[in-house]
Amino acid sequence: MTVVRIGLLLSRSGTYRLLAEACRAGALRAVREVNADPSLAVTFEPVERDPAGEADAYAPLCAELAAEGARHVVGCVTSWSRKEVIPTLERTGTVLWYPCPYEGFEASSQVVYTHACPSQHLVPLLAWALPRLGRRAILTGSNYIWGWETNRVARDLIEGAGGAVLAERHLPLGDEDVARLLAEIRAMRPDFVLNSLVGASSYAFLRAMADLRAGGLTIPILSCNLTECELPALGAAAEGLIAAGPSFGEGLGSFETAAHAAVLSLARRMAHTGAGAPLEDLLAAPDGGVLAIDPATHHATLPALIAQVRNGAFHVLERQEAVAADPYLARRPVLAAAPHLRAVAP
Amino acid sequence: MRRLATPVLGGARAVILHRPHPTVEALMRQLSAIGLLSAAQWPDLDPSALGANFVFFDVDRGHDAQFPWKPGEAPMPMIALIGSEAPGRIEWALSMGADAQLLKPVGDGGVYSALLIAHSAFVARRRLAAEVQGLRARLAERRTVLRAVLALAEGQGEEAGYAALRRRAMDWRVTVEEAAARILAACPDKEGGRHVRRRRPA
Repeated sequence: MTVVRIGLLLSRSGTYRLLAEACRAGALRAVREVNADPSLAVTFEPVERDPAGEADAYAPLCAELAAEGARHVVGCVTSWSRKEVIPTLERTGTVLWYPCPYEGFEASSQVVYTHACPSQHLVPLLAWALPRLGRRAILTGSNYIWGWETNRVARDLIEGAGGAVLAERHLPLGDEDVARLLAEIRAMRPDFVLNSLVGASSYAFLRAMADLRAGGLTIPILSCNLTECELPALGAAAEGLIAAGPSFGEGLGSFETAAHAAVLSLARRMAHTGAGAPLEDLLAAPDGGVLAIDPATHHATLPALIAQVRNGAFHVLERQEAVAADPYLARRPVLAAAPHLRAVAP
Repeated sequence: MRRLATPVLGGARAVILHRPHPTVEALMRQLSAIGLLSAAQWPDLDPSALGANFVFFDVDRGHDAQFPWKPGEAPMPMIALIGSEAPGRIEWALSMGADAQLLKPVGDGGVYSALLIAHSAFVARRRLAAEVQGLRARLAERRTVLRAVLALAEGQGEEAGYAALRRRAMDWRVTVEEAAARILAACPDKEGGRHVRRRRPA
């Protein structure tokens, strides 16, 4: 039995702590399952570092994990932190199994992307929303690459479908001052708001929107990053929210599922190749159908679900199986617009 | 701020002019992840490269004769693969019309931004060249316009002559220069046709 050190690089405090805790729970659950499975030739020994939500702490802590012998690391929540660790991964030959949705436009040879990219979250979400909700949108997001790029792609898709972006607002990570954004939403009454805020900003925004709803103005809110792990923090403020993701209704949600799948898939692949195999060999090995990874992009093929929060739980509205990742949106998606005119019965 | 018109890269063709090398493999890996089809050629670019959407070319060992077009006349965006950053080599890359560059060894990034920057620079360069060509053509017709204005003025002054020329150009839906040439061609007694630069007597 080979004992393999596996790194966990997840923040146990800071504004996106709940997402990181879901990833951590999924990874540790898989470690327990792998270690209890006598048919697998490896057991995992987790080594952990806690960057506490500080982007600049990730790269040095990732180097520490590599120095302690972890050749595979599960971690990072924000794209900001992932981009910080990539040079360290390259220098140390470490592989990052990244379990969160992100904005695409990356295909590092040292990263395996086990959650969704825009062709698997934003594109299906807007394809669902535009014909049903309308084409006048307000975009909001946290002030870093996730919010910026998600909103840029959303703008292209919405305008390409003949719609209009009425406003686009970004808040610094952790900022809870949503008054101006709310004032704009009240004034412009968009058909929907795309919310790519993260952590405390998102909670403040959703609570303010719930107050607006209590006052009689209901505007649908869409998200590519809201999952079960944040529902307890939101309570009734999450009601009605529409989200895209690869799975709903499983434990702490799709972040946990993606981290669990990453660790389990890695163990099963190692059982075929040996623990020290290079990543290309690991990705070519079978894992019993846990995660289908495209060797060209290192991205997972995933289901694309649209779900709505009803009575405190996600209710799936639409489901596509096995959507391949297109991280650079090379197959330029064009969405159908809501019809301008309706046929009138004679 | 001008918004970047992202080119459609899915299915686009890239040709890499570089000897077999890990840099080529890394480049092809990135191109394939982005969604392009790529092929490497060495020591020369095959004429089929004329149909490529992007060309990456080695600056370290490159020379003019490798290309099926004249320096600076590539019909697609060109990306220089630079190893030694020597001024002579950079100068050659620029003379070939490099729209963007990548430093060797090529690792895990840089290709996507090089594609977008090269595409944008190429489109801007072509638009400017077309504009300059149009302006030059109009400049060359200065005397034709002047003579048509005089012919149409019929003693009413230059302003009236120019107004008459503009009216005809609008009626015929052609440029002022084109209208002037037509008017002169129609009256051979006005030395007919476009202005032909005469040689000075020796």
